[in-house]
Formats: sequence, C-alpha cells, structure tokens
Amino acid sequence: MTKGSRLSLILMAAGPLAFYAIFVLLPLAQSLQISMWKWNGLSDPVFVGLDNYTRALSDPLFLGAFRNTAVWLLVAVTVPTVLGLLLAVLLDRPLRASRFYKSAFYMPITLSLVVVGQVWIWIYQPDWGLLNSVLTALGLGDLTRAWLGDPATSLVAVIVAWCWQQTALSLILYLAALTTVPRDLLEAAAIDGASAWQQFRRIIVPLLRPASVVVISLAVINTLKGFDIVFMLTKGGPFHTSDNLAMLMYSETFFKYQVGYGAAIATALFILAIIVILVYFRQARASERIYG
Amino acid sequence: MASLTGSGAAAPGPAGIASPPLTVKPVSRERRARPIGRSLLVHGFILAILVIYAAPMIGVALTSLQSNAEIAARGVWHIPENASLANFTDVMANTPLPRYLLNSFLVTLPATFFSVLGGVLLGYVFSQFRFPFAELLFLLVIAGMFFPPQAMLIPLFRFFNSPIEIAGFQILPALYDTVYPMILIHISLGLAITTLLLRNFMSALPSSLREAAIVDGAGEWSVLFRVILPLLLPALAVLATLQFTWIWNDFLWPLVLTRSEESKTVMAGINALKGQYNVAWASQAAMAVIASIPTIVIFVLFQRYFIAGLTMGSVKE
Repeated sequence: MTKGSRLSLILMAAGPLAFYAIFVLLPLAQSLQISMWKWNGLSDPVFVGLDNYTRALSDPLFLGAFRNTAVWLLVAVTVPTVLGLLLAVLLDRPLRASRFYKSAFYMPITLSLVVVGQVWIWIYQPDWGLLNSVLTALGLGDLTRAWLGDPATSLVAVIVAWCWQQTALSLILYLAALTTVPRDLLEAAAIDGASAWQQFRRIIVPLLRPASVVVISLAVINTLKGFDIVFMLTKGGPFHTSDNLAMLMYSETFFKYQVGYGAAIATALFILAIIVILVYFRQARASERIYG
Repeated sequence: MASLTGSGAAAPGPAGIASPPLTVKPVSRERRARPIGRSLLVHGFILAILVIYAAPMIGVALTSLQSNAEIAARGVWHIPENASLANFTDVMANTPLPRYLLNSFLVTLPATFFSVLGGVLLGYVFSQFRFPFAELLFLLVIAGMFFPPQAMLIPLFRFFNSPIEIAGFQILPALYDTVYPMILIHISLGLAITTLLLRNFMSALPSSLREAAIVDGAGEWSVLFRVILPLLLPALAVLATLQFTWIWNDFLWPLVLTRSEESKTVMAGINALKGQYNVAWASQAAMAVIASIPTIVIFVLFQRYFIAGLTMGSVKE
C-alpha cells in the first residue's frame, strides 16, 4: 500500500471513529465512573465505590424492576417469536392479495412506540376502551378493569402492547427466512406421508434456526432497551408494578435525582446487553461452522 | 431489528453479524390451482386475524376522524357518523405541531445522511484492507447496535448541558435544548448498523474493481466515490429508509435533551401535549396519525428496501 493510500484510509476512518468514540464509547466509560458516585446532578459528587451496586441488591424497587424485566424477557423470547413464525407460515403461500396482507401485518414496525403507546391506552381505557367493550359485549363484564391502573395487570398490559409490535418484526424476519426453505423438500415430505405438522416441526423449524437466533437476540435486546412503551403507558406504575430496569433507571435519575444510582442501574443493563452480545456472537460463529 | 425495534423505538436494526450461508437456494413458487372453497377459507382466516391484529391502528384512524363530542358520547370504537378532517387542520393550526415536525426533519435528515456516509467510509476501510486489530475494531463498532441507550444517557446529558470548551476556551455554548445533540448522537449510534451492512456489501464486490482503478492511478477517495459508491445504491437505499424510520421514531433522546417547543421533535412533542389534550382524544389521535405519516410514506414507497434491511442479518440472500 502506498503512503498516500494509507493516509487516505486513516482520514476516512478518523471522522466516523471519532464520533463513535466521543458519543458512544466515552459516555459508556463515564457511566461506569458516575455509577460509583453519590450525586444529585448539581452538588459535588462524592465517590462511594460500589455502594450504589450493593444498595441495588437490597432495594425492593430494583429487585422488582429486575424481576419484571426477567418476566418480560421470558415473554419476549416466546410469544412474539411463536406468533411471528405461525403468521409467517400462514402468509407464505401463493395467495391473491398476499402482498397486501404482508404490508398490513408489517405496518406496526413503522410506528413509533409513542404512537403505539397512545393506541394501547385507548384499548385499555376503563370506560370505553376496546378491551372492556369487547368483554362486556361477550357477557364477560366481570372481567373488565382499569388494565393499566390495576397492579395485578399493569405489567402484563404493557408487555402485550410491546409484543404486538415485536410480532411484526419477528414475522418479517421469518418470512424472509422462509424463502430459503426449498418447496420441493416439503413436497417430497408430503409425498412420503408427512403431515403438515410434521413438515413444520421437522423441516421448517430446523431450517429456520439461524433466523430464530436473530429473532430471539433482537427480542432480548429490545426488551433491555424497552423504555418508551413503559413510559407512555404507566411510567412504571401503579406502585412500580410495571417498572422495568430501563424505566427505573430513568425515574431514579430524572425524577428523584439519584444520578449515581441511575448510572449503576444503567450499568446493570449494559452488563446484561454484553451477555446477549457474547451469546449471540458465539451462536453466529457456531452456525457459521455448521453451515459454512 | 426493531429494535425494531429503533434506537429506542421498536427494533434498532438487524443484527446479523455472520449470517450463516445457507446452502439451499430459494425455489420459485408457482401459483397452483386450488379448490376454491379452501382458498376462501384461508382468506377468511387471514382476514379475521388481520382485523384483530390491526385493531389498534384501525382504532386510531377512527378516533382521528370523529369529533371530541362524538367520542365523549359514544366512545372510540364505532364507525364515525360525521367523519371529517377537522381534527387534523385543528391540531396543525392550534398546536406547535408544525414546529415539532420541522424539528424532526432537521434531526432526521442530517443524522440519516451522515450516519450512512460514515458507514460508507468505515465499510470501505474494513472491507478492503487488513490492518492490526481491524477485526477487533470492527466488532467494537458493530457492538454499538446492542448497547442500551440508557448506558450513555447520563454522561451525554451532562456533556450537552455544559458549554463545550477546548483547553479552557469556550468554543460553543451548551447545546442542551437544541436539535444538534440529537443529530450528533444518532449519527454515532447509527454507525453500527451502517458499517456492518456496507462492509458486508463491499466485501462481496470483486477486489479487482479497486485494484484496476488503483493501477489506473486513482486515489482511494476516487475509488470509493467514483467506482464503488455507484454500486452501493441499493444498500444505501436500504440504510436510508431504516435510519430515517428509527431516528424519526426515537423518543428517549428528545425527551431527555429538549425542553422548549422550539427544539422538541414530534414524538417528544406529542407526548408533551398529552397533558394539555388530556380528554381531547380525537386531537391526540390526529397528532399521532400526522406524526406517523412520514415513516408510513417511506415504508409504502420503499417497502422492499426496508424489509431487505431488516432481514439482511437473518438470511443470506
């Protein structure tokens, strides 16, 4: 490589890498630092070592948010994944209007969670919301309630709204992956007497495994980042019953001015994300070895 | 990735780092004659699911076309008697919504452009050259897709709340409550996905392209912008549609980094107006629809690119 070439390449990489370093990597490191401060955002910070972390381990709010995040993760890796896969298999057939169907099912993914949240508020609205109206019409009036205001249902209600959008993402990814499943393989299986369920279970699901890894990784990472929908629907309430870690981090920092503590919660989220990254890279490598 | 989910937003980007090259080839699917009854059944089944699935979107559309009085009397969930666009003209005339929309464009367009440009530059460097720690550096950049924004939130909030100084000299006032911090942050966060996809795209180009141009005396800049860039147009379209959508839909950064009407983006703006329009459901719905129009238009016009971008990690074309 010539000297001129080398200089050009360094110049090319320098700009974007500087942005990445200043606005992503540096703040990550500073967040770690701030997590060891007792700081209200205004006065001088006091270094307290790992106090914020030990405090988290005995803080019912943190433990509650952690538990809710775990529940959320459990639902996130199963419900939208399975629904998206079933929808994809249903839509992956030569139908008139299949383009229209697909676009309609994809649509939620283009919407901001601010809008998604707004829409679901109207579904859960206690007086005339869709859910209570339908329940009443079905003669199940006893089941109606203020879904977002009731501590027993607030978390589930938020997760359902989130799953609604996430299902569209999983559908898109599975539909694309289905184009790689050879139709003649399925036909051969059908001729050999395999039922639709057997074809699904023994051919389609195994062949879609790489797509499933992506769908599930995204579901996990989107769960960890999941702040917008909680903020829009409940702000973590009532009584913190629908808090997740991202929401708690925000409310500790910007409502309670416990900035150091907020940074510690952010670090916990970051560590969880790192675990996902490592698992994901390992999976990606492994499937490369298998398929490549 | 929606992540879809967005940054925030749903699904920030696809995440295929090393997509397994499947050995099977897509097979064309011919239309087959089917018994009509069965096909009607399939259509009916799909439509039934679609109505349930799309109910939230149908609801917001219905709401936006009714008057607040009609909703107060009958609720949202019926066919509007006097459907009108009055709510739309009303919120555009009587709220800062036009200003919010302008701000959203002021953030989204440059952030989209520069995050894609940065991806072109980094993608070229990472795809065409081997150098020490290249692999590690590449992984570090694309890992950014997975970082929760919360982990950068407090330091960036602090950074943009203080004047920017170099060696004790103030070169810029604090940028808090302007559109600039959001532009800078979205450029940086977008680099992960744009670098990943463009590097993969450029790795697939024959290396003789660059070599021939270099032999002809071209420098690296003109190889990239004259020879390679024209071949990247589909990938650029993919990334532009994805980035536009995530950045437009972002909520967390404008929520934290803006305060006044002059600098709020539309998502932060309609959230801020919620209190004021507490029971004016129709006005809220109209605002939600208006705020969604740009991304829906992009989706309808460029659906092919949008879907390709989301799926690029999950399957090898």
